[in-house]
Amino acid sequence: MAEEEDETGYDEELDDGSSGMDVGGHGKRKRLFSKELRCMMYGFGDDQNPYTESVDILEDLVIEFVTEMTHKAMSIGRQGRVQVEDIVFLIRKDPRKFARVKDLLTMNEELKRARKAFDEANYGS
Amino acid sequence: MADPARIKPEAKPERTTSANEERPKSEDTGDVPATAKPAEKRESSSQDQAKEEGKADMAAGEDDEEGSASKILKVEPEKKKERRQKVDEDEIQKMQVLVSSFSEEQLNRYEMYRRSAFPKAAIKRLIQSITGSSVSQNVVIAMSGISKVFAGEIVEEALDVCEKWGETPPLQPKHMREAVRRLKSRAQIPNTKYKQILFH
Repeated sequence: MAEEEDETGYDEELDDGSSGMDVGGHGKRKRLFSKELRCMMYGFGDDQNPYTESVDILEDLVIEFVTEMTHKAMSIGRQGRVQVEDIVFLIRKDPRKFARVKDLLTMNEELKRARKAFDEANYGS
Repeated sequence: MADPARIKPEAKPERTTSANEERPKSEDTGDVPATAKPAEKRESSSQDQAKEEGKADMAAGEDDEEGSASKILKVEPEKKKERRQKVDEDEIQKMQVLVSSFSEEQLNRYEMYRRSAFPKAAIKRLIQSITGSSVSQNVVIAMSGISKVFAGEIVEEALDVCEKWGETPPLQPKHMREAVRRLKSRAQIPNTKYKQILFH
């Protein structure tokens, strides 16, 4: 709670909506996911044109999430490296994310197999 | 909206139903050690009988013998698999019916929902800047996937907050922040910065 600043004045000056979050706003950092996050927010139920400040907040949250997961994954299993097993272990308690990761990895394997079979078929003929 | 990656699961059930007799045999090799033990525990009859029945199951596959404990145990995992595949089929069909009845705006939104994704290059760069070493492709795939789910959870919670406060989208930062606060109290947002010492 102590981290929350009153940023009603900030927003107009900085046009950087990441202040005011206890995420530790990244200030002048270049926006990595602006376009994709806009589409994502629309897909998840927001308006077709979400506010830039909201997109910024969400980007900071996602970057923090990735950072935390990476740090945790580095500290378990094989130290200093991030492996898929570590990620799966870390989200084992969250049913949604766990199911999603399993689906993604299974589909990736299937696609790789399909592509390999397709290439081999082409090579043969 | 047929997803090419989805057509395969529909093809699978056809393959398995036609090759059904082969499946029990391959599953048997996995199941016999599991079923043999409970069969030995449950049946008070001599061990020879249990072993015989186990062997008979292995050889005969789908023979209709009187329900021995091992037979029942063996059939249940198969039923579960078939049920799961049937549930998948049902779900796919229901999804198709649902999507076919979408309005244009809903179709747009659904398309955005399915297609939006984090750029793999940026995620890879981000992870590598933290680890200092390279990461495999699967890690990037997994991380982008759960990040998208994470973003979805926040947006959904923020929409709940927005509705509860009697306001309309587009979402404002205050909704997002309240959503984060709620998710934090439910421990759905990882935070290793501040560790609370309960008893000291």
